[in-house]
Amino acid sequence: MSNTQSLFQQKNDLRHRLGRFTNHGDRFWVAALFGSSLLILILVLMIGWEVWALSAPSRHAFGWAFISPWAKAAWNPALDRFNAWPAIYGSLVTSAIALVLAVPFSIAVAIFLAELAPPLLRTPLNYMVEMLAAVPSVIYGLWGIYLFLPKVVHPIGAALQNTLGVIPGLSTFFGGPIPASGISKLAAALILTIMVTPTIAAVTRDVLLAIPRSQREASLALGATQWETIWKVLLPMGLSGILGAVILGFGRAIGETMAVTMVIGNTSGGGYSVLKPGYTMASIIANEFAEAVSDLHSSALIEIALVLFVVTIILNAISRWLVMRVQRKTMGR
Amino acid sequence: MNGDIFAQVNLPRVYRRRKWVNNIILGLTGLTVILAGIPLVWIVIYVILKGWRVINLDFFIHLPTAMGATGGGVTNAIQGSIVMVIVAAIIAIPLALLIAFYLLYYPQTRLGVAIRFSTDLLSGVPSIVIGIFGYALFVLPFKHFSALAGGLVLAMIMLPVVVRSSEEMLKLVPKELREGSLALGAPEWKTSLSVILVAAMEGVVTGIMLGLARAIGETAPLLFTALGNEHYDVFGYIKQGIATNQSLWEIFHKILAEPTDALPLTLWKYAQQPYPERVEQSWGVALVLMLLVLLLNIGARTWLAWKRRQTHG
Amino acid sequence: MKRTLIVLTILIAALALAACGGGKAQPTKASAPTQASQSLQAAAPTQTPAPAESKAVTLNGAGATFPLPVYTEWNQMYPSVQPNVTINYQGIGSGGGQKAILDGTVDFAGSDSLLKDDQYAKMPDLQMLPMLAGAVVPIYNVPGMDKLTLDGPTLVNIFMAKITKWNDPAIARLNPGVNLPDQPITVAHRSDGSGTTEIFTSYLGAVSEEWKNNVGVGKAVEWPADGIGQGVGGKGNPGVAQAVQSTPYSIGYVELAYAKSNNIPMAAMINAAGNEVTANAETMQDAMAAFANAFDERLTAKIVNAPGEKSWPIMGYTYLIIHMTENKDCAKTKALLDYIEWAISDEAAAKKAEELGYATLPAAVRDLVEAKLHEVTCNGQKVLQ
Repeated sequence: MSNTQSLFQQKNDLRHRLGRFTNHGDRFWVAALFGSSLLILILVLMIGWEVWALSAPSRHAFGWAFISPWAKAAWNPALDRFNAWPAIYGSLVTSAIALVLAVPFSIAVAIFLAELAPPLLRTPLNYMVEMLAAVPSVIYGLWGIYLFLPKVVHPIGAALQNTLGVIPGLSTFFGGPIPASGISKLAAALILTIMVTPTIAAVTRDVLLAIPRSQREASLALGATQWETIWKVLLPMGLSGILGAVILGFGRAIGETMAVTMVIGNTSGGGYSVLKPGYTMASIIANEFAEAVSDLHSSALIEIALVLFVVTIILNAISRWLVMRVQRKTMGR
Repeated sequence: MNGDIFAQVNLPRVYRRRKWVNNIILGLTGLTVILAGIPLVWIVIYVILKGWRVINLDFFIHLPTAMGATGGGVTNAIQGSIVMVIVAAIIAIPLALLIAFYLLYYPQTRLGVAIRFSTDLLSGVPSIVIGIFGYALFVLPFKHFSALAGGLVLAMIMLPVVVRSSEEMLKLVPKELREGSLALGAPEWKTSLSVILVAAMEGVVTGIMLGLARAIGETAPLLFTALGNEHYDVFGYIKQGIATNQSLWEIFHKILAEPTDALPLTLWKYAQQPYPERVEQSWGVALVLMLLVLLLNIGARTWLAWKRRQTHG
Repeated sequence: MKRTLIVLTILIAALALAACGGGKAQPTKASAPTQASQSLQAAAPTQTPAPAESKAVTLNGAGATFPLPVYTEWNQMYPSVQPNVTINYQGIGSGGGQKAILDGTVDFAGSDSLLKDDQYAKMPDLQMLPMLAGAVVPIYNVPGMDKLTLDGPTLVNIFMAKITKWNDPAIARLNPGVNLPDQPITVAHRSDGSGTTEIFTSYLGAVSEEWKNNVGVGKAVEWPADGIGQGVGGKGNPGVAQAVQSTPYSIGYVELAYAKSNNIPMAAMINAAGNEVTANAETMQDAMAAFANAFDERLTAKIVNAPGEKSWPIMGYTYLIIHMTENKDCAKTKALLDYIEWAISDEAAAKKAEELGYATLPAAVRDLVEAKLHEVTCNGQKVLQ
């Protein structure tokens, strides 16, 4: 009896002491919150610092000529001369084509999902868009090599080289012949189109859904058709958000590595024609970083990573600014 | 109803034209949705048809054979992916939740804004750049490609995904819950963990599953950190460890410190092979990977929708 | 409060369990000797292992894809020789192997590209050990064409992008009676730093001054075909073979084993002596015999454009790169040296290599390698007695 009581007392004592600890636990809690939040900040700063510091030899050796389209030197690891322009051009042209094709396409998809789809279809279609975004990029690459390139890209490329490719001014960009396997910048651009479409469509759909119902009702009540309501009311209202979606898509396209590496042909030659193989910034790193023996070679690749990092910062800053604009606009109303 | 009225009244041509344009364009948007679905259906069906043929028990439990030989499996990649994703989850999930709570409590402070920006930045940084960073930070100093290094870079990929989704979900929890708990004398940390987190649990778990799906499909950052290993076999290491009297720590060290394969890494290597056996197997790897990723995605979303319906009637 | 207590109890219980788990590892020691002795017995017939070897060793290597097919075979065979040694070799290209061993991230590297002076300067104790010789063969994919003969200058001109169509007179002259299509030639080359490329460009440089001066010889060069948009890069030997397979009207170059085991058409070459040869064991041995004394004091040799009557002209040795003195983990070093010794001397290993299309080392070279192996030290001590 006395034994159990003392045990009880002990327990109570423990409970008391634990209680004191737990009540004061908030200091640790706030410290943990603060610490881990700081960690992510430090992480990002460290990425920036690493790519900046490790690219020093290349920055000093080549300066701005490294990213200049007019520099004489090409990408030549054998002679330790590096000019990233072919890779930058590859990234720009593939992303640009992808966006030009994907933006109208994904806005149309978003309109259907947000405005037209009957409720029964809405869920499966939303799933479809999410799945399209979720398929790992290596699987896009595998599908690209064995199916998409020979079945779709090569015929399109062959058609382009015979139409646009023979027009004097455009032959620089569409000069053929496209390799018989379909491997080309065009292949990368078309795969990127498929990959960024769900990203842009999903964000645009959310933007459209966020616009109050009253706007639609007012427009329809004035006698506008549904399309006129979308075109003249909803899209202008959501413009900032849609621009944000496009920027997000651009970020995804320019950073995409594996699928592009598998279909672009990986050469720093190829010139300006989209029907020819090439490189993108991400794919040149994927191909060469593991074996960049000379310091200059590896720092040149890290400088490309630096360029990608800076591009990411700029894109994020723009989209932040767009979000702020949207907020101000909606708050002003 | 509307249509009937339009049909009965003889409207001026301009109305008919507007109606016509409306129908055509809206019809076109429906067509784009079908078009967008084609690649997905094409990929899924083809991967299932081609992958199914090479999948059998051996595929899951055997190590790869030599190049050009038939048979063998990709257990090294499956185990490697699992080990690295577990490492990533152990590191990223608690960290992400803490950060999400910070953003919940201090959204407009200067640090809060900076952290939200860095989270966005981290999710926007191309994964190949994270790979270089991982090589410089986790591989070079230790002189070793390893599962741990791979797990750490995957954690960096996962972190922003989980932070953002958890923050959204935590924000949805009514303020009153927190206030009530604090008023009852519960400390802040307990309120956060056992009231707010529990209330937002479904959403947070969904976010975690999406993060896992993202991490398991990543290839680029693993190229310079995990490297690849046709002999990676956790069960083998454990068996061998026991046979040679190694301590738990030594076995653990072996599992984490060896170079490791992963499903997407294996897929990338096998897809660019002239050996027909390897190419066949790459479709099998693609199938396993795709099922994992899509099931995680569908599972997460369906579960969330179901739970929501349950709680909101 | 109750909840906190529960949580804490669970935590403590988990810790206790983990501790028990740690403890439980002890009792298994009792059963361990039987298993360990079994593995010792299995190892016994081949060599008498030192006691330290009962511990499992994993050796990590990376590099050239040129010998990758035979290395993966060897690594599958080796556990039956040494059950406790696992060898992981990743084919990331010769350049990748060199970078990895210079960065210290692997235990050994594979390379068929020779280290340069400044790399030896960074790490003076690196040693290249020849393992095998292999042939680089031009492979092509032209629908309906199953025979192709080329000579040095024509090959150079194709890769120089001076010959851009399959029905070029230069090719037609070498292939009378073959129906050559009027199609542009796509040139597949390596996108990574590659010893195969070094061997191939060495040959092109040997037959053409212009190639040597304008394009150069090395692991990675600026391909003239890229300049006109007719080049495609593939990752590793497998990547080039795959690129040629999937690209009609293309030409590329890979190690013989890749072409042989995947039935990719290979071109015959006119060699330095003016004879038409195909890559096979006989022509490879002939080329190696022509350069029997070519090894320098670094134990490296270039054997392209051999003068022999039957010599296959595009040949090279493939090497493992190891540390001679800077070894810390002696069990690992011992395991590595044993593996190399086994690989160059074991009959089954040699048979496998020859089956795949490699040539094993001449006896004289093998002796040089064995001598080098016996000089390797770990923490100042000789490893092999």
